[in-house]
Amino acid sequence: MGARTGSQRTAFLTKRSMTQARDRTDAAQGIEGVLLANRERILRFLALRGAGDAAEDLFQDLWVRLSARSTGPVADPLAYVMRAANNLMLDRYRSARQSELRDKAWGESAADQKPSAESALISREQLALVEQTIAATGERPARIFRRFRVDGVQQRDIAAEMGVSLSTVEADLRKVYAALAALRRQFDAP
Amino acid sequence: MRPDPSSDIEARAIDWVIRQRDPAFSDWDGFADWLAEDPVHAKAYDAIASLDADLGAVPPASSPEVDWDEVPARRRVPRRAWLGGAVAAALVAAVSLSTFNLLGDANRIETVAGEHRTVTLPDGSKIEINGASVVTLEEDRPRFARLEQGEAMFHVMHRDDDPFVVEAGSAEIVDLGTAFNVVRRSAQTSIAVSEGVVAYNPRRENVRVVAGQELDAADGAAPKVRNIEPANVGGWRTGLLVYNGTPLTDVADDLRRTAGMDVRVAAEARDVSFRGALIIAQDRARTIADLAALSGTRATRQGSGWVLTR
Repeated sequence: MGARTGSQRTAFLTKRSMTQARDRTDAAQGIEGVLLANRERILRFLALRGAGDAAEDLFQDLWVRLSARSTGPVADPLAYVMRAANNLMLDRYRSARQSELRDKAWGESAADQKPSAESALISREQLALVEQTIAATGERPARIFRRFRVDGVQQRDIAAEMGVSLSTVEADLRKVYAALAALRRQFDAP
Repeated sequence: MRPDPSSDIEARAIDWVIRQRDPAFSDWDGFADWLAEDPVHAKAYDAIASLDADLGAVPPASSPEVDWDEVPARRRVPRRAWLGGAVAAALVAAVSLSTFNLLGDANRIETVAGEHRTVTLPDGSKIEINGASVVTLEEDRPRFARLEQGEAMFHVMHRDDDPFVVEAGSAEIVDLGTAFNVVRRSAQTSIAVSEGVVAYNPRRENVRVVAGQELDAADGAAPKVRNIEPANVGGWRTGLLVYNGTPLTDVADDLRRTAGMDVRVAAEARDVSFRGALIIAQDRARTIADLAALSGTRATRQGSGWVLTR
């Protein structure tokens, strides 16, 4: 596929949607360029992330995903694309896993929608266990984890805010994640 | 915690997940190298990254907000059922005003190929009609529309006691609170839902189609439901058509409706299924070139249109 040229490409429709379409086209062009220029690198990454023989197809999926998304300017387009590739693989993993779990839990085909009320109950119960596990790691790790994962504060800001070193923040985060991973293993244990 | 030979790998996976939560993280090559060291690394990473995604459900304040009274005592958590929350994408449509009183018959709206029209009904429901389409309304049935041919996106004001009904061919599509796109081809109906739920033929098959699903039914055949990206539903309205395994002939049909482009598919290319995104722009040749490149076909100019061959 050749590179798109010109910024004069416009859509039909109303003036308003014309503007939207043009913005989206320009953003899509930039991302497409990054995708094409880094094709081998992305394919390798997808393969390493578990795509196997499907890497080519998933590259196409990634392309579809990124073209469909309306993006503003991206500071580091390659990192943006790599993150999207990583998310794509994670989404695949999660949806495959969900159907697997659903099959085991309900003994029905994955196509059957489970009632949403039911899944909400499950997550509420598990949430309580998650909260207990976080609390059990100690007051400071629990607080650091919450600031990091729930409030989305960067590690160095948490360190400044709590008057501890960056490596303390790192260590506490590792501790909480490890405890949660252990909790999760209990659900996953055969 | 029991001693675990894989705990070292898990610790590394946790480190990557923590680092990647920084929006400025850029060491994707370093991460790829770590994955390349051992296939086990990818598995460990998936488990932790998925756990991390599930943690999005942790509420902001450290308050025991789980109300145990609401949890039926008899319900047991299935041991294996760690289920992450589903992400729902909502689609916001651009609003435009339009009237539909051309050609005398106010209740019959017909568009030519490439023409798009929006109709707002008295109840506030909105129908966005693609080109080469016919929608009819009935004065004595304010909560009814018929898609005779073509494609339309419906944004329905939901009323529990008075459902909105769309008819396409012999199919009846009943809104249960919704935005959805309907395509009526010669002998086939497709319904893609971006918000809410619709019921397909509630008095026959009665299939519920929820946001993020598309139902396809050839006339007289059993409907098939598959998952789609809700954000791409009704993409014709913004000139972005996204496909995932769609027959080339249907893509050509969409291009005619949406952009008034005359695209024919040669017999030997009819079985080609297309995956990719097409941007409809003023430079139509560009769109065709993309379609050809992405579908592995060749586009040849013929008259005012194009022919796709293998």
